[in-house]
Parts: sequence; structure tokens; C-alpha cells
Amino acid sequence: MKPGQETQLEKLIQRELKTLPELPAPATVADQVMAAIARRAQIPWYHRSWAEWPGALQAMSLVVMLVLFAGLCLAGAHVPQTRLAGDAAHQANRWFAGLDVIGNTLKVLADSAGLAFHQLGSGLLVAVAVAAGVGYALCLGLGTLYCRTVFLKR
Amino acid sequence: MTNPQQFETFMQNYQNMVFSTAMRLLAKQVEAEDVTQEVFLKAYANFAQLQDNPSAGGWLKTVATNLCLNHLSRYRSRWSFFSELFGGTEDEPAQPEFPAADNIEEALNQSDRREAVERALQELPAAQRVPLVLHHLEDLGYEEIAAKLGISLGKVKTDLFRGREALRRKLRLKLDPEDSLN
Repeated sequence: MKPGQETQLEKLIQRELKTLPELPAPATVADQVMAAIARRAQIPWYHRSWAEWPGALQAMSLVVMLVLFAGLCLAGAHVPQTRLAGDAAHQANRWFAGLDVIGNTLKVLADSAGLAFHQLGSGLLVAVAVAAGVGYALCLGLGTLYCRTVFLKR
Repeated sequence: MTNPQQFETFMQNYQNMVFSTAMRLLAKQVEAEDVTQEVFLKAYANFAQLQDNPSAGGWLKTVATNLCLNHLSRYRSRWSFFSELFGGTEDEPAQPEFPAADNIEEALNQSDRREAVERALQELPAAQRVPLVLHHLEDLGYEEIAAKLGISLGKVKTDLFRGREALRRKLRLKLDPEDSLN
């Protein structure tokens, strides 16, 4: 197509599309919106997002959060000097001792996987990875086909 | 506090515009209705600012466009690979289903003609339809379209050209060969 014709085509399509009137929205849209608004209005304030809370509650919650934050900062500055803090640290060490066991188990599993890799060779592992990839692609493909045939025909 | 009656009037004033935008971008009535509903729920949350604002229409159009593009990009990233593999519709526009008259302009009256243009637009693949709608109906420039769709400027121009050409073929519009030098 010649450059002049491209401009001509652009103007032609512009003229066709610009004459299109607005499409009438289905009558049900307004009812659905109003019903959704009514449903939302019945939700109590504490189940809504913070932005939708009443102004007084927003202000109050802000003050509470600031007080809590200040309290935490003060506690952070003073607690490490007390005997209680030492006890808490000891207790925390006991709680997290279990993590060592988990770490050791993961290390054994990783060593076993490394050994298996050396024994079996990379070919088998590549084959397993390819089979998993093909399986995933097959699932995605079947899902797409299902969507195209069932939903997109509506 | 928002007055539901005032909002209903507001909605009646703008619902066709929002629905048209959604319908032309998505080309599916059910999805266009869902987007229209979502746009007005957002508008309800911001009704205090929109109520007497002269740019409310622009705000609604922008929200509708963005919601449609989000919807299309979600759908596209999930299914495009396989839809192209199975259907291949992105680059092969559907065959026109219009009367076989040589000059369709003469055969159709104004209302039928608009319906035919609307139908032809909806039959275009999303990759061509969306830039066409954004450029010709929403008055966005090429760069803005590229930014909104996250594609290159070259692709926008190619898709627009293909879309216009497909629409011209579907509507059997004729270019004036004499005018090619202008």
C-alpha cells in the first residue's frame, strides 16, 4: 500500500468509527449496581477496608496505632536492660532450637539428592523435567481449550 | 453521605458511554457488563468528588479503559500462547458475514451501516481492535497506546494498520487510487 493510501485509509476508518453512536447499556446494569451498593452498605464498618471507615474511627485508630508504636519503641529501649529480657531471650533460644533439627534434615536431604544425581546420571533427571514440563503444558492447553469452547462462546 | 437517587441519575447519564467503551474494547457483552458494574461501584465510592465535576465523564472513561485493559492483559498472559496454537485467530481475522453486495454503502441504510461497523469491529482480534478503539474512539496517541498496552511503538503502528485494513475489507470500503499521492 502506498503512503498516501495509508493516510486515506486512516481517515476512512476514523470517519466510520467516529459516527458510531453510544451502545445502549442493558437495563439490568443499573439494577445490579444499585443491588451491589445496597449489599455493601449492609457490611459492618469493621469488615470494610480502613479507607471506608467513618472519619472518627479512622482518627481514633490512627491515635491508637501511634500510641502502640510509641509504646513498642519505649519497650525496645528499656526491656533489654531488665532480667525479664534475659529470661525471654533464653526462652526464645529454646523455642528456636527446633530449627537446627530442620536445618540438619534439609542438609541430609540435599546430600541425598546430590548423591542420587551422581548415581543416576543427568539423563534421567532431564527426562523427568521434560515429562513434568510436557504434563504442565498439556494441562494448560486442555484448560485453554475448555475455556475457549465453554466460556468464550457465550 | 451519597444519595442513592442522585447516584442513579448520575449512572443513567453515563452508563451508555461506559458500556460502549467496555463493549468495544472487550467485544463480549457479559464481560462489558461486569466492567461497567465495577466502574460504577468505584464511581459510587468517589461520588462526592464526581457529582458536580465536569470531568466526571473523562474519569469514568479512563477507569473503564484501564479496567478493560487489565482484564484483557490478565486473559492474554494466561491463554495467549495456547489460543494462538489452537485457534490462530490473532492474525487471521474472521471472514466477513455481510451481504455480498458489491457496494455495501449503498445496500445498507444508516442504522444498519452502524450496526455493521460495530459488528465488524467486534469481530477483529483483540490485538487489532484494542489499538483501533484507543486511537480512533478514545483519541489516544500512538505513544500513549504503546505505554498503556506495554508494547513497542512499531507494534502499535502495525496493529493499527492491520486493524484498519481488516475493517476496510470487512466493510468493503474502497480507497481512491487517485488520492494515493496526497
